[in-house]
Amino acid sequence: MTGPDDTYGDKALAAEYVLRLLDQDAHRAFEARLLEEPELRALVLDWEQQLATLAEDIAEETPPAHLRGAVLKTVATDPAAASRRGWFTGLWARVLGGGLLAAVAITLAVVVVDRREEQGPSYRADLISADQSISLMVRSGETADALQVEVAAGSPPDGRVFELWLIAENAAGPVSLGVLNASALTSIQVPEALLAGLATGTLAISDEPPGGSPTGSPTGTVLAAGQVQKI
Amino acid sequence: MTSRDDIEHLIARIALRDQSAFSALYDATSKKLFGICLHVLDHRGEAEEVLQEVYIRIWHKADSYAVTGHSPMTWLITISRNLAIDKLRSRRAAMTTLDAEAVTIADARPGPEASAISRSEHSAMSACLEELDTNRADAVRRAYLDGDTYKDLAHRYDVPLNTIRTWLRRSLMTLRDCLTR
Repeated sequence: MTGPDDTYGDKALAAEYVLRLLDQDAHRAFEARLLEEPELRALVLDWEQQLATLAEDIAEETPPAHLRGAVLKTVATDPAAASRRGWFTGLWARVLGGGLLAAVAITLAVVVVDRREEQGPSYRADLISADQSISLMVRSGETADALQVEVAAGSPPDGRVFELWLIAENAAGPVSLGVLNASALTSIQVPEALLAGLATGTLAISDEPPGGSPTGSPTGTVLAAGQVQKI
Repeated sequence: MTSRDDIEHLIARIALRDQSAFSALYDATSKKLFGICLHVLDHRGEAEEVLQEVYIRIWHKADSYAVTGHSPMTWLITISRNLAIDKLRSRRAAMTTLDAEAVTIADARPGPEASAISRSEHSAMSACLEELDTNRADAVRRAYLDGDTYKDLAHRYDVPLNTIRTWLRRSLMTLRDCLTR
């Protein structure tokens, strides 16, 4: 049962994996391959999507009322959830530990540079992933509110784009600063209303569908975040 | 009815640890997901346990939702179905000595034939399953919705274990050809 049956190859194997038909050893071996092989992940996602339609017509059932309270309570005691502050911590937690199959833990480094004294306030933030695969530099240009964003290394997943977000200290949520050009410099004019929040805020990038998040909030994975430094 | 976009937006907010979005998602989707857990497990107590696990998983994994490229309901259904199957398997492992009884319990449920009546006609999957031999289509449904293993299927259709695997893999490939054409 464990030996590969090559007649149909990975396409059938991926279906068996999704259906949970593989025995324990084959299941584990397949999961190990998933971490390394994007085409295999695509096959799995494809089967998941197709097979999930089988559940469409299963009748709804109302769960007992006490369950709602129990579920919400579990989440309310999540230390990452408690407050705006917690919301912020949650972001860091995701930057550190989130992502598909927990594949790559991403961290960031904030580099402080010498203060530039000849002109008004100016800002910078550096976002670098732990494995160095993603690295972004954000700098004030001619004026403090004209940000130049350079993706120094890394690129979004296929068919996705990087979107830059400002998370101001007292804001209800992230505000989009725009979609980034992954292969060159992107100039971003920070709206005046957001400028006050920039000084003490955090910048983050998520991967989003082309054209950016359709919802106005990040829908993809937060890949890196960095605190804005006033220089 | 909560739209696909609404649910997607809730998931995005949950990724940012928004508890009100989480309770809204629970209200919008728990009936559907509980229905799935109950269908797979056919046991209310276990289905309730699994439903809790499902929402905890959603809370912690909301940030990786978009990477999958799934529609929000596909993502939620996949989580629910997989956790329910895991529970089913651990129950079965605990009662391996009562294997025959487990099969009897599974048999007592309404089969795929009964649920086929309400099946949506526009689902490509349903249409392609129609093209398969009835037993083979049922085997795919039983594996996905009832958590049947190759052993269960071999027993049910009275064919050797190796034969059932070849048989099902061939059916899956026929299905894939149909779905991609």
